[in-house]
Amino acid sequence: MTFPLFLALSACKGPAVLSAPPSVSPQTQSLLRAVTAEHNLIWIYNKAIAAYSGLAPTLAPLRAEHQAHLAQLTARVIEPPGKQVPGTVTVKPALGASQGAVLVQLRAAEQAAVKTMMTRLDGASPSLAQLYASIAASEATHVSVLNARAGAR
Amino acid sequence: MTTQVAALQGALAAEHAAVYGYGVVGAVLGGRAQADARADWTAHQVARDTLVSMLTGLGATPVAASPAYALPFAVTNAQSAEELAATIENRVTQAYLALVAVNSPTLRAFAAQAMQVSANRAVAWSGATQAFPGLPATQA
Repeated sequence: MTFPLFLALSACKGPAVLSAPPSVSPQTQSLLRAVTAEHNLIWIYNKAIAAYSGLAPTLAPLRAEHQAHLAQLTARVIEPPGKQVPGTVTVKPALGASQGAVLVQLRAAEQAAVKTMMTRLDGASPSLAQLYASIAASEATHVSVLNARAGAR
Repeated sequence: MTTQVAALQGALAAEHAAVYGYGVVGAVLGGRAQADARADWTAHQVARDTLVSMLTGLGATPVAASPAYALPFAVTNAQSAEELAATIENRVTQAYLALVAVNSPTLRAFAAQAMQVSANRAVAWSGATQAFPGLPATQA
């Protein structure tokens, strides 16, 4: 009787305390990239507003919406426990040399953001997909606002 | 499939309401604004027909338009007509947001694209952007 019990016990493995942490799910990886993308957009809006104060009435509300996007996306990061939500800017492009160039640059950045956000829909949970779609819709309106502002110069 | 059909029916109901609502909007507006309203009215008719085709393709009976719809507020002048147009677009955006929750890549992309169109129309009428078009304020 003792022998089979020993075998059974020895087959049980305790927790491997030094093993690697669980890998981040594709959905979380996508979410973390979305967080970084918002940081990058806010960075360029900050630079644009600082360099061209005349654009502030147009750009500040759009930046505020990106800050709201960032807050919502960051709030959705729930795994893995203790994972540092990215807070750094990874892309710091040179700012356009004129107001018009900056508007074109921001418009292109928003268009690219919409396109990328659309690729995140597939595989996302229903609620996260809705957040992505809503942010993409918001960014699509930013494109129109920047277009109108560029045309009004 | 049931969820897909229900979400598509929701979007179709919103498009039916939009077609009705733009009739009211267009009747009050004039000039350039009326032309814009007419263009949006036509776009909602096209969207309605697209949704009808999608539902029919799924073997469902598309929800019919109501003979009349209660307006959320009285439309008495150009300003209230433009407010109604913005409200219509916000409601259409909400309806397509429900469709985004369906677990079908094709429908998600379709609905997200439709949200961008209606959110842009809402901005055109209201002059103000939103951080989270379609999402209830409590979630945003």
